[in-house]
Amino acid sequence: MKTAKMKVLAATGALVATASIAALAASQSEPGEAPGALALGKTAPLAETKMKNVDGKEISITQAKGAKGTLIVFTCNHCPWAKAWHARIVSLGNKSVKRGIGVIAINSNDPAAYPEDDFATMQSNAKKSKMGFPYAVDGTSDVARAFGATRTPEAFLFDAKGLLVYHGAIDDNAHQPDQVKVHYLEEAVNALLDGKEITLAETKALGCGIKLRTSKT
Amino acid sequence: MRRASGFALALALIACGCGRRAAFEAATADQVLAAVRAPGARAVLVNVWATWCAPCRAEFPDMVRLGRDLRAAGLRLVLVSADFDESLPQAHAFLADHGVDFPSYHKTGDDMRFINTLDSLWSGALPATFLYDGAGHRVRFWEGRQSYETLSRAVRDVLQKGRGTDSTEVKT
Repeated sequence: MKTAKMKVLAATGALVATASIAALAASQSEPGEAPGALALGKTAPLAETKMKNVDGKEISITQAKGAKGTLIVFTCNHCPWAKAWHARIVSLGNKSVKRGIGVIAINSNDPAAYPEDDFATMQSNAKKSKMGFPYAVDGTSDVARAFGATRTPEAFLFDAKGLLVYHGAIDDNAHQPDQVKVHYLEEAVNALLDGKEITLAETKALGCGIKLRTSKT
Repeated sequence: MRRASGFALALALIACGCGRRAAFEAATADQVLAAVRAPGARAVLVNVWATWCAPCRAEFPDMVRLGRDLRAAGLRLVLVSADFDESLPQAHAFLADHGVDFPSYHKTGDDMRFINTLDSLWSGALPATFLYDGAGHRVRFWEGRQSYETLSRAVRDVLQKGRGTDSTEVKT
């Protein structure tokens, strides 16, 4: 865990190079990780929770698991960042499925807040973009809560043992695909499948806050 | 007739703020922090927002009102849009529509660097608001929409004591 954090810090080392940033860092206790997010090395929470897939059938994270790993992407229909990355998520997801990674996209947004995040739009979105993996509704938003997912899109990659090995963004440029310098998620998937260490295991990008449904508990 | 039409247009421009758009410049997180640490403020509130972000839009009038209410007491409001390039004209118009008559910024450069420079605990979700004391030390951070009362209480605390309690709050 600490190693992963150090790697993230090393990759963004220029950030902490100035005195001004050092002053900020001095007031922080856990650099490199969003508060509440599932920690590296942990297993997927609420893995048996049934969620309605766009095909009308119910599916759980356990059912979506692959022999070589599992990729979970919290995403939605309305968010400009989710839209900007959607084609790349679908392309990588479809390729990953063929390579033995189970993939599931999860929409935890409350459609009462964002009507475009309703089930019908999910279905048309999945069909239009040719998603070759489930796109399911987190109907209580409890799955997002359990993962500590806060934004869309936000990816969690688990290895074959079910342990979290990557958490974060799709790549380093949502808006301009042709100017991406680091394909964070794709590189993590490749490293996982090649049996190599994931050098950048936690990344971040700006994104829409997930609008969770009101908790019933 | 022509004069009357011109006057009506001027009134409309004043009403919507279209006639007095303040500067709206690209900024990295380091440049945002430079704006935070520029002399003259006893407290600085940085709000990262976007026009497409519903909670950002909902929070925005309170943010601007707070900046106006406490400006004389020493609060500086630094607004940073995270809109994509093609939405920047709308963002600039949104600022004018809300009476923003001081310079503000739109984020440029790498996301992860921007996020971690402002606060490594920030997940990247919008809106995000950061409170600094007059010396430029970050003393509060909120993720998600906040009320006028919450922000006002924290800012007044910094204005009165010089420094508040360091903490992070996440609200979706």
